[in-house]
Amino acid sequence: MKKIEPKILKGTRDFSPLQMAKRNLVMDKIRQIFKQFGYDAIETPILNPAETILGKYGEEGDRMTYNFEDAGGRKLALPFDLTVPFARFFGANWRDLPIPFKRYQIQRVWRAEKPQKGRLREFYQCDIDIIGTRSLIAEAEIARVIVSVFEELDLKFKIKINSRRLMNTILKNFDIPQENLIKVIRVIDKILKIGEEEIVEKLKELGIKEPKKILQLLKPEKTNAQTLKKFAKLDLKEIDEFLTRCDEMGIDKKYLEFDPSLARGLDYYTGIIYEVVSEDADFGTLCAGGRYDNLCELFCDEYFSGVGVAFGFERIMILLEDLGKLEDVTLNSKVLVTLFDEDSIKDSLKIYRILSESSVPCEVYFEPEKLGKQFKYADKKQIPFVVIRGPEEREKEEVTIKFMTSGKQKTIPLNQLTDYLSNYYESNK
Amino acid sequence: MNLTNKKIRIAVQKRGRLQEPSLKFLETLGLKIRKNGSKLIAACSNADVEILFVRNSDIPQYVKYGVADYGILGENVLVEKRCKLKILQRLGFGKCSLVIAVPRKSKIKSVKDLSEERIATSYTNTLKKFLKEKGVNASMIEIKGSVEICPSLNMSDAICDITQTGSALKENDLRIVEEIMNSEAVLVESPFSKLLTKSE
Repeated sequence: MKKIEPKILKGTRDFSPLQMAKRNLVMDKIRQIFKQFGYDAIETPILNPAETILGKYGEEGDRMTYNFEDAGGRKLALPFDLTVPFARFFGANWRDLPIPFKRYQIQRVWRAEKPQKGRLREFYQCDIDIIGTRSLIAEAEIARVIVSVFEELDLKFKIKINSRRLMNTILKNFDIPQENLIKVIRVIDKILKIGEEEIVEKLKELGIKEPKKILQLLKPEKTNAQTLKKFAKLDLKEIDEFLTRCDEMGIDKKYLEFDPSLARGLDYYTGIIYEVVSEDADFGTLCAGGRYDNLCELFCDEYFSGVGVAFGFERIMILLEDLGKLEDVTLNSKVLVTLFDEDSIKDSLKIYRILSESSVPCEVYFEPEKLGKQFKYADKKQIPFVVIRGPEEREKEEVTIKFMTSGKQKTIPLNQLTDYLSNYYESNK
Repeated sequence: MNLTNKKIRIAVQKRGRLQEPSLKFLETLGLKIRKNGSKLIAACSNADVEILFVRNSDIPQYVKYGVADYGILGENVLVEKRCKLKILQRLGFGKCSLVIAVPRKSKIKSVKDLSEERIATSYTNTLKKFLKEKGVNASMIEIKGSVEICPSLNMSDAICDITQTGSALKENDLRIVEEIMNSEAVLVESPFSKLLTKSE
């Protein structure tokens, strides 16, 4: 029989148990923080009527959205991000939801892109949004969540912040016509990617007379106060209040950098915008988002203002791996109860039962094979403790623990086994 | 205004080796303490000061919350409770060491040999920190008192406990493997101390 090649599509991935252990660890940490700040989970379908997804991300976004016809001739699309499905969900359900509504959503999204390093066709996003309030306390809370997440992940980071409103005012002062505003913002947004000279050229193409002056003005100074000073004549109430609220919420000032050049390309932002960059490595954006008005207008008549960010889960994973912060992650099983011989099965299962009733994740070997083979299994599964109960141990009501990393063995009274293992302190954890 | 709220409160050990020298120290500051039998609060006859007699291990809590403005306690307790209170003065009494000790005939000769062994202690936080620094993995058995008896009962292979003269260790045939910290009584100040608020 001809075998089927066990292949997967380019830009998609299989995850091994160890990779999943790492991904779950990081995702659980992120989820835990979301929960701690009172965000509840929602989930939206993978298969969607095409019109609820297409036409929301501009031309390029549409090209990158997976869409197809199903056997019944219906036009379907896969989510391109989590924001639009959330807007649709909220538009459909807002009457039944507590408002302001705070939700988190951790799901796969799909992009029909040419796969390359760091660009996948299928990946995870972790979003939080607060919708139904204009209060800047919401913006500050989002910043607070960002700080907690990255502190929890032990990453060095900075949150760049700006106000889209302020940027519009600044650009208007340079007599940039309204119709070119978005284009100019999109060009400025690329400042880190394509460098200053090219930006200047592109701005000239858009008919900007003093591109260098704009960039000079938009450059952040050493401190937020110095940067703010440059715009003292403009209305800084929004940024001021936001920074004050952040301070009142206990966000360390060192994390926030007011960067007037920060633009975030997406058209729908209207107020405070965020972008989190790593201080450990030159790594691009780890998390981004901002205030948007009326994102739901496509789906309902009511007006709702919201603010939210998306955490780039895959990028965070790559960074954590690069920094060696996931090297100590192990698989689930902590203890293997061995079977010494046919006669000891009953007794070993008793030990297994005692352990499985404690909080220590454990398993039992299935056959009374040579201990060496059982040790090899433990080694391959990175199980740190192996419990041996031979005739000698049985006679003295003891057990021997073999430590797989050091190779050392220790014999203790059987009734101390669960306490020994649950109070075992690993100095590298 | 509630008068009692205006009084400065100092927490000292209810019973134990630190109580007497703590009160003596306070007297050298000029306070005349009117101890009233077993009452837990004693007034001073010459100042708006109250002495609060509480459990040694609870003192950090009282001071942290500002229920007591000051406290006198062993530094070892402060470290174990991971309380970052401001130490105003080291008081020179109540000196002791937190040590790791093993049976005299044990094969354990150094900190490294402690790996995978059972250590009985009332100081789990301090011990954890120490094990982390030394990169030693071990199992901890939390015992509230009379820790020194554990090795002879095959409860543990080592203990981590405080010792002053070393006599309790000797009586139980234990020898010291490592000193984790030296401790003495300290005077700590609450972040909510009334005197602090006044001066600001």
